[in-house]
Amino acid sequence: MNVFLQQLINGLSIGSIYALMAVGYSLVYSILNFSNFAHGGVIMLGAYFGLYAVNLIGAPFLGAIIIAALCAGLVAVTLEKVAYTPLRKRNAPSLYFIISAMGASIFLENIVIVTIGPTFKTYPELIDKTPISIGSLHVSRLDLLMFAVAAVSLILLVLIIEKTKVGLAIKACSYSSRGSSLMGVNVNRIIFVIFLLGGLLAGVAGMMFGMRYTVYPQIGVITNKSFIAAVFGGLGSLPGAVVGSLLLGVIETFAVAYGESSYRDLVAFVLLILVLVIKPSGLMGKVTEDKA
Amino acid sequence: MKRKKLALLLSAAMVLSLALTGCGGDGGSGGSEDSDVVKIGWIGPLTGDSALWGTCESQALQMYVDEQNEAGGVLGGKKLELVTYDIKSDTNEAVNAVKRLISNDKVSAILGPNSSAPAIAIKGALDQGKVPDIATVATNVAITVGEDGSVNPYNFRICFTDPYQGAVTGGFAADELGATRAAILYDISSDYSQGFAQYFRETFEEKGGKIVAEEAGKTGDTDFRAQLTKIKEADPEVILLPLANYKDIALAANQAREMGIDATFFGGDTLPSDNIFEMAGPALEGTYVVNHFDYNDPAAEDITERYVEKYGKQPEINAYMVHDAFQLLIAAIEEAGSADPQAITDALTKVEIDGVTGHIKLGEDNHDPIGKEAAMQQIVKDENAEQGYSYKFIMKYSPEA
Repeated sequence: MNVFLQQLINGLSIGSIYALMAVGYSLVYSILNFSNFAHGGVIMLGAYFGLYAVNLIGAPFLGAIIIAALCAGLVAVTLEKVAYTPLRKRNAPSLYFIISAMGASIFLENIVIVTIGPTFKTYPELIDKTPISIGSLHVSRLDLLMFAVAAVSLILLVLIIEKTKVGLAIKACSYSSRGSSLMGVNVNRIIFVIFLLGGLLAGVAGMMFGMRYTVYPQIGVITNKSFIAAVFGGLGSLPGAVVGSLLLGVIETFAVAYGESSYRDLVAFVLLILVLVIKPSGLMGKVTEDKA
Repeated sequence: MKRKKLALLLSAAMVLSLALTGCGGDGGSGGSEDSDVVKIGWIGPLTGDSALWGTCESQALQMYVDEQNEAGGVLGGKKLELVTYDIKSDTNEAVNAVKRLISNDKVSAILGPNSSAPAIAIKGALDQGKVPDIATVATNVAITVGEDGSVNPYNFRICFTDPYQGAVTGGFAADELGATRAAILYDISSDYSQGFAQYFRETFEEKGGKIVAEEAGKTGDTDFRAQLTKIKEADPEVILLPLANYKDIALAANQAREMGIDATFFGGDTLPSDNIFEMAGPALEGTYVVNHFDYNDPAAEDITERYVEKYGKQPEINAYMVHDAFQLLIAAIEEAGSADPQAITDALTKVEIDGVTGHIKLGEDNHDPIGKEAAMQQIVKDENAEQGYSYKFIMKYSPEA
């Protein structure tokens, strides 16, 4: 029983990082209908921004995470202006957006390799690393913090979408950009907001990932899994992204716990494929409603 | 018209040069049998990323050759002559250099290179020229033994192989630490890691130990807590971390300590790296690491002093590896009684030497050193070290002793 609970905690901890990353994919997809693979690059930069905020100006945890979020938000917005706006103006098909996103992601990875270098960097100990022990269970403070940060960020996001005028416009655009623009919604502004929100979350996710593990230019590769989690949960659905991510984390962990660790990815992804075969829109992807 | 003349001239020159050098490639016996010099070749990187190691190796080798000549040379008075070529760690350059050494320079034997990829690439050229090569720090199994398990006739090596580290760690854990319960966390996507784990398992079990958990991760993974939870349940005394990337070793060690696992870790030659202690210093304290050689080994002091005196800087590990390769080659030349490459090749598996990196006898059926001692080091706190930790020499250990 204890082992079961410990593995569940491990799985949720992994899942909550996936969730922070996956929401950014879903946000962009819900409006622009393409998978923004550059998101992984922005997350990676977020990890570096947080690291430098801590190392260079000695920012405390909260300060560093705000700096990481803001800088990553700025990068995401710039990226949208440089890599996607020209395509949008020409009404390019989504395939072009995806290619442009992949290019941007490779660009970001390499610019970091060239300027900062390929070595692995670590955050200094910002919070106490000794785990909290309940019997033989170990929950690290970092995991608790990560749950909290993920929960707060996601709740803030939901509040923005559900309670503000901008949120209403985002929801409207996710049904139909053209229709919304006819009703007087400034679609360009909404897209700006979407990328800003996605970037802010990417900064938070990047810094949490960096603190949990390490910082290096290929962090973006990990986000492939969070993208898959977003698809699994239903691309375009925020609750779907969160649930899909947590489930993927737990499934992966249990594949190790009650199977062979060498088959982990195999088991996890066969399950995902099965879900998608049975329900192509993902767990919560109700294509016609509640897409934001 | 002018062009035709030029072409004629060129082809004449080519024919002439062919006639002059033609005998080199096919005859096989490139050795300078009757002259009073014995030529040996060296290949390695003198420029590029790995220049540091290659330069040190070639300088050290030149020093040994000079010393040998001063002491009377080989084969009763013949002088040694060293020919070196820069291969920039490139496989094509390596093959070309070997061909040049064999057909133009007519060397009796070749030393180097110090990395696996070029050492594997030169097999064809060596087989064709029938000249032996002793690689220095090239640990990939495929250098000396082909895929079908047959030995490559002209490839030898002085260092131990990747999987041999598994035998060393497994034996050391059982013999010296008296451990009976071990766990392994290896990388399923790496040959290096799988071979390492397999040899550890075999040796540890042979010596009466039990592998209580064997879990796998994959290159690119960052979270090993699911595997570590299982390992913790199995309650091992030692945990082998034969992961191919030091990042994975650091993360696994950190996560294990965080979960309250206090078993002793074992690592291989992928562990030592620039910032491993920055990433996981406290978690890795007490970890045992296998290495080819340790600078603090008293046997090495003499070489260190000679090198520093001649070149004014500290030698890299290559200086010691190439020392033993050179000594083995000299022993083989004397055993063969001639500078004939084939005779030297045959003698290489017959001689044995006590080198600075351990006792060396190459196996007939694998051309690798048999039961060679490895340097066991332990990671300890060190106030003077840049990152707060350093490697302490524990002992030389061979699982077959």
